[in-house]
Amino acid sequence: MSDSHSIVLEFDSVTKWYGSVAALLDVSFQVGNEVVGLVGKNGVGKSTLMKLAVGLLDPSQGAVRVCGSDATTRESRARIGFCPDFDRLYEPISGVTFVAWMLRYHGVAGRAATERAEEVLTELGLAENMHRPIREYSKGMRQRVRLGQALSHRPQFVLLDEPMTGLDPVARAELADLIRGLPQRGVGVLVSSHVLHELEAVVDRVVLVHQGRLLADGKVDTLRDQLPERPHRLRLKGARLRELASQLTAWPEVDGVSFLRDGLEISLSGHGAFYERFSDLASDWQGGVHELIPLDDDLAAVFGYLVE
Amino acid sequence: MTTTTNSGPAESGMPRTAPGLSVLATTLESARQTLVMLRYRRILLIAPIALLLLFVITYVLAGTARSSNGANLYSVFAWWGLATVIVPWVTLFLGVQAVHGELEDRTSQYLFLRPVSRVPLLLGKWLAIATVSSVLGCCSAAVLFAAVAGREDLWPDGREPWLLVSFCIVLGIGAIAYSAVAVFLAAIFRRPLAWAAFFVVGVQMLAANLNVSAGMRQLTITDPLRRMTLDLIEPSRRLARSLWPAERNEALLVENGTGAFRLEFGSPICSLLILIVICLTIGCWRYARTEYESRSRD
Repeated sequence: MSDSHSIVLEFDSVTKWYGSVAALLDVSFQVGNEVVGLVGKNGVGKSTLMKLAVGLLDPSQGAVRVCGSDATTRESRARIGFCPDFDRLYEPISGVTFVAWMLRYHGVAGRAATERAEEVLTELGLAENMHRPIREYSKGMRQRVRLGQALSHRPQFVLLDEPMTGLDPVARAELADLIRGLPQRGVGVLVSSHVLHELEAVVDRVVLVHQGRLLADGKVDTLRDQLPERPHRLRLKGARLRELASQLTAWPEVDGVSFLRDGLEISLSGHGAFYERFSDLASDWQGGVHELIPLDDDLAAVFGYLVE
Repeated sequence: MTTTTNSGPAESGMPRTAPGLSVLATTLESARQTLVMLRYRRILLIAPIALLLLFVITYVLAGTARSSNGANLYSVFAWWGLATVIVPWVTLFLGVQAVHGELEDRTSQYLFLRPVSRVPLLLGKWLAIATVSSVLGCCSAAVLFAAVAGREDLWPDGREPWLLVSFCIVLGIGAIAYSAVAVFLAAIFRRPLAWAAFFVVGVQMLAANLNVSAGMRQLTITDPLRRMTLDLIEPSRRLARSLWPAERNEALLVENGTGAFRLEFGSPICSLLILIVICLTIGCWRYARTEYESRSRD
């Protein structure tokens, strides 16, 4: 959970109905000066949650607050930056003009708006192309323009919907650095992505939504530990695998060992105790242990377990 | 991509959360942006060619109508060509595209996320469409006048520039009214062009030609415009009949100086003002609702 003194987004028992269909049911969570990942399958209420967060929808019950103000107010909108996932912009004008136009509505004067737009787009790596019409942009360039309009007015809370889409690997890494750096400047971030391993690399914690409900909220490893009925699985590579397997099966925290083509897969019930014992074993093991990799400690695995 | 994008406000002297624009400034900014976007509309790119064609066709037609006089010919062309066809259709098309197009492709969300009221955003679009359509209407009227005036034999008593001024006034007022209807249709309906066609063909063509006692005529744009035109150009009975063929009240056809521009209830200008206010009020009310999406309309 976030520090209560720096809450930038707060969902307080929010329910949203579309007619007789409940899109969100009693959802409560907070975002502080941190990066929070929003995870959920398509159609589970993620888009509704985002629209509520940026004030494009009113909650049927509960309250959505941005920096303490109702999310639908002008004060809140001045503090929000939103990078949507849809790929439409003002096609005939240039990227810098588009960002400057949006800045104008924040009260930034013409020349200052253009200078700020140039500054942001340069920082986002669009310096060479920012004066070309948007219709000539590649998908990645368009994504940078969307990011630019979300960040240009220096919001206190940024909501990024699939921000990695269309970016090449280098740009993805740079964007990940950018997102990770935002909390240090007092900016809270809520980011959604279907690429869970990339999301995991940038977020401090995750909010999992499923069938309109908040399924989980916390750090990935904490959430994983809260699933005791799901044994941790490890892949092990090393020498003398048969002897190693026979030793490991005798340990109480090991539920089972199976042979892979080039190693072992180990199921654990108590992985903390296992690692303590295993470090002693591995240091003395003749021939050595080459690799020990957790197979289901990542966000994708946790998400999969939770929604099953 | 560097990581200084959200560097602190003090670094650039810009406030962290700059206040949004005032209502007037938002309206003007929205109008400015809409005007810039309209520049790229294909329909406006071909406008010079269309005006040239209009000139050539009118000039040729005027040459074949030697029994008529220039004033009558110009009035008939300007009324039936510009005031009832070109200005309504062009204005409704541009207005619907400017408002409805953004809602359909969701780029309006970028605007809705700004710290400004949505009402001036819509009013700005209306202002821009009204301006462009008025200018287009006046240019068309001028081109038409130039083409007819080019036939010297049609003007035995000399050319009448007042006709051009009159039609510019009427077309300008018409463009403002049609822009309001376009904004209303685009903000309310999911298929505004179909409703625009119904408005022009159904409401305008039928209702505007009903007997004057039928109050529905006051709800159209054509009827008040026609009465303004008659008031301004003070036509002969023959020309009045050409401009208003369905009118059964002979007295109305020869009645000039009826006070079409007097600001009193029931006058044509007042009817148009009421129509504009109603269209803009309902359009803004709908556009300004929080949960406003394309799919929620109709």
